[in-house]
Amino acid sequence: MSKQTRSYNAQKVIERMGKKLNRQIVGSLTACVHCGMCTDSCHYVLANPGDPTYAPAYKADQIRKIFKRHYDWTGRVLPWWVKAKSVHSDEDLETLKDTVFGKCTNCRRCTVNCPMGVDYATFNRMARGLLVSVGIMPEGVAVVSKDQWEIGNQMGVLKEDYLETLDWMSEELQDELKDETAVIPVDKEDADVVYSINPREAKYDPRTISDAAKIFHIAGENWTMPSEGWDMTNFGLFSGDDELGGAVARKLFDKVTELRGKKLVISECGHGYRSTRCEGQNWAGMDVDFVMESSVNTMLRYVKEGRIKVDKSRNTIPVTFHDSCNNARSCGLTEEPRELLNLVCENFTEMYPNRAENYCCTGGGGAMSMSEYTPRRLKSGKVKAEQLAATGAKIVVTSCHNCVDGLQDVIRHYKLDMKVTQLVNLVADALVIPEPVEVVAPTPAEVVAAVTAEVEKAVPVEADAGPDAGGSLAGYTILVTDDEPDFVVFASAILEDNGAKVLQAHSGEEAMEIARRETPDLMTLDLGMPGTSGSEVFEAMRNDPDLKSLPIFIITGQPELRKLIYERDVRKPEGYLDKPINEQGLLTNIRKVLNVSRT
Amino acid sequence: MPDTLQVNNSSIRLMKGDITELEIDAFVFYAQHDLKLGSGFGTAISLRGGPTIQEELDAIGSIGTTDAVITDAGKLKAKHIVHAVGPRFQEVDLETKLRTTILNCLKIADSKGAAGIAFPAMGAGFYGVPLPVCAEVSLRAISDYLCQETGLKDVTVCLLDNREYKPFTDQLTTMTASSAKA
Repeated sequence: MSKQTRSYNAQKVIERMGKKLNRQIVGSLTACVHCGMCTDSCHYVLANPGDPTYAPAYKADQIRKIFKRHYDWTGRVLPWWVKAKSVHSDEDLETLKDTVFGKCTNCRRCTVNCPMGVDYATFNRMARGLLVSVGIMPEGVAVVSKDQWEIGNQMGVLKEDYLETLDWMSEELQDELKDETAVIPVDKEDADVVYSINPREAKYDPRTISDAAKIFHIAGENWTMPSEGWDMTNFGLFSGDDELGGAVARKLFDKVTELRGKKLVISECGHGYRSTRCEGQNWAGMDVDFVMESSVNTMLRYVKEGRIKVDKSRNTIPVTFHDSCNNARSCGLTEEPRELLNLVCENFTEMYPNRAENYCCTGGGGAMSMSEYTPRRLKSGKVKAEQLAATGAKIVVTSCHNCVDGLQDVIRHYKLDMKVTQLVNLVADALVIPEPVEVVAPTPAEVVAAVTAEVEKAVPVEADAGPDAGGSLAGYTILVTDDEPDFVVFASAILEDNGAKVLQAHSGEEAMEIARRETPDLMTLDLGMPGTSGSEVFEAMRNDPDLKSLPIFIITGQPELRKLIYERDVRKPEGYLDKPINEQGLLTNIRKVLNVSRT
Repeated sequence: MPDTLQVNNSSIRLMKGDITELEIDAFVFYAQHDLKLGSGFGTAISLRGGPTIQEELDAIGSIGTTDAVITDAGKLKAKHIVHAVGPRFQEVDLETKLRTTILNCLKIADSKGAAGIAFPAMGAGFYGVPLPVCAEVSLRAISDYLCQETGLKDVTVCLLDNREYKPFTDQLTTMTASSAKA
């Protein structure tokens, strides 16, 4: 086919490929001998044994053939021999998209099993970047990338919401420790530690923030969190967009430099750790003069140096450990989490295979954002499910937020009796709080924060607030909507025990009718109900003039449906929890939403 | 490095910040053809500004590349939002389309009697317009427009960070030097 008949986008992809070829990529594109060693290393292949299109060598060939056709002499001279082939149309690019985004999580397990050293994930990422540069990508990748480009974090958490969450966590910490100085310092200059997080923590899992804050506080650390440039994740790693990778890393590095922080500590996130510590400076084209480390190393050092004391008898449930692909295969972070786990847990069982040979959680490479590929992803989770079940553990620990979501999906889909948690949660649970708490003298900024918190606490939330005023839901009416009677009874009992008036609905239609009639203060909503689905109810209520101001809290056992909610062009839900829920999680989040909705 | 340029009775000003939080007559949002606010700045506009903005856009429907429409800004501090569809992802004739888009934004804001308008780095970032191209095309288009008779007195380019800011100050320096020679 002549150049004239090639689509504009296909031509741009071919031209741009030439600019992306470096020695590492060219080496990988030319070295494959099709020996098949990679085949059984891929969890997609193991879950789809009859489908050769999942084999790493086959997937690699879809990119390799373009390289051969345009950038390798063998393909120009003997194209039929080396199977060189070009792309000509946007349909060709869509087919390539299906492979590079939908059939690989860039986990690099095939890479460590390749005798020729072919790093398929590296040029798969390159191919993703080429497609993104002409606007061809899964919708979820576009949504997340745009949020990170323009809002500064990949979940579109607005600055005021982030700061409010830190305030909220500070208050929780002060209440728990009965210590007014136990606050999260924001933008404190000259701190020894600047702590960066995954936006998932601010949006869905703030307990990881308060647990980390508790550990820093008890360790007497001189620490802070930045008001901006706080997102250590980087969707550029997943989308293949080096420009995004550089912009995100620079934002984080610039903020640490501005604050004159001595060390950047990265909370537990595999791709965040890799993209910030290992790739960020290359993408951003800059050097930094501060140290970077995973919070796993930080916590381990605190224990070893005696800055915190832990009591492992508080964590007795059998646990196993899932190595994040980015931490283990790409960054070598394998022993520190195990050492820490053995210090804070009584009953740790290894998962096999492990470390650099561990299987992907299924959510790597941005797969959690690509809902169109969810059925494939869950099918590929069969391998992970078998690995998890074989441990006999009741808790799987991982140092990666992406893996938390991926593993939770696998556990639900394959009906395993397990929960997922992170090291920060286990360390916080095992933490021995000294009495009285010995703290360094607060800085002026901390004093101001503490005084501000005191003033805010002095304002009564409710007229009849008793001693448990901070936690009481008295005076609030909450509508619990779920088609599972057991869940309705469970959630209602928790909320009623804490003072709320509870209304119950078992379908979307019933919920709308009750909401209109009773005007509750908040509604919980299941997504997977028969009849009118939760997402349809959600959109209908948001577009209903009488109901659109009602705060809605999504509680679902099908997190893959989350996207149905967040992609709708209506105001986002005020809260979100995955099932199974626990009492503490439900109450903490409901209180948070009600406070927001009433102010 | 200069951060302002005087053009006739108007000025072009560079700043760093969040464009959706500006108190100004109008700011520009780099929109999609279907005028769905979507993610990125769209997230901030819909969350901070409320649902009326999207409702107004839904009534308009969709627009083509280089077109611009204007809506109220809901609960935002700005009075209006100019929603403009610029070129994206290495599109053909990118620079010409970008210039036309910017001129259309200025025209529609002018027609609404706006005295001030703010632009983001148009098309840079997610849509892949290279920052040096964005800076040169944007500042030249704005400057050319302000040479005509206009009610616009203050045109701000609101940039996210130092990475975006530098190419714009470089371009403004070039243009300041040219105007000094002239």
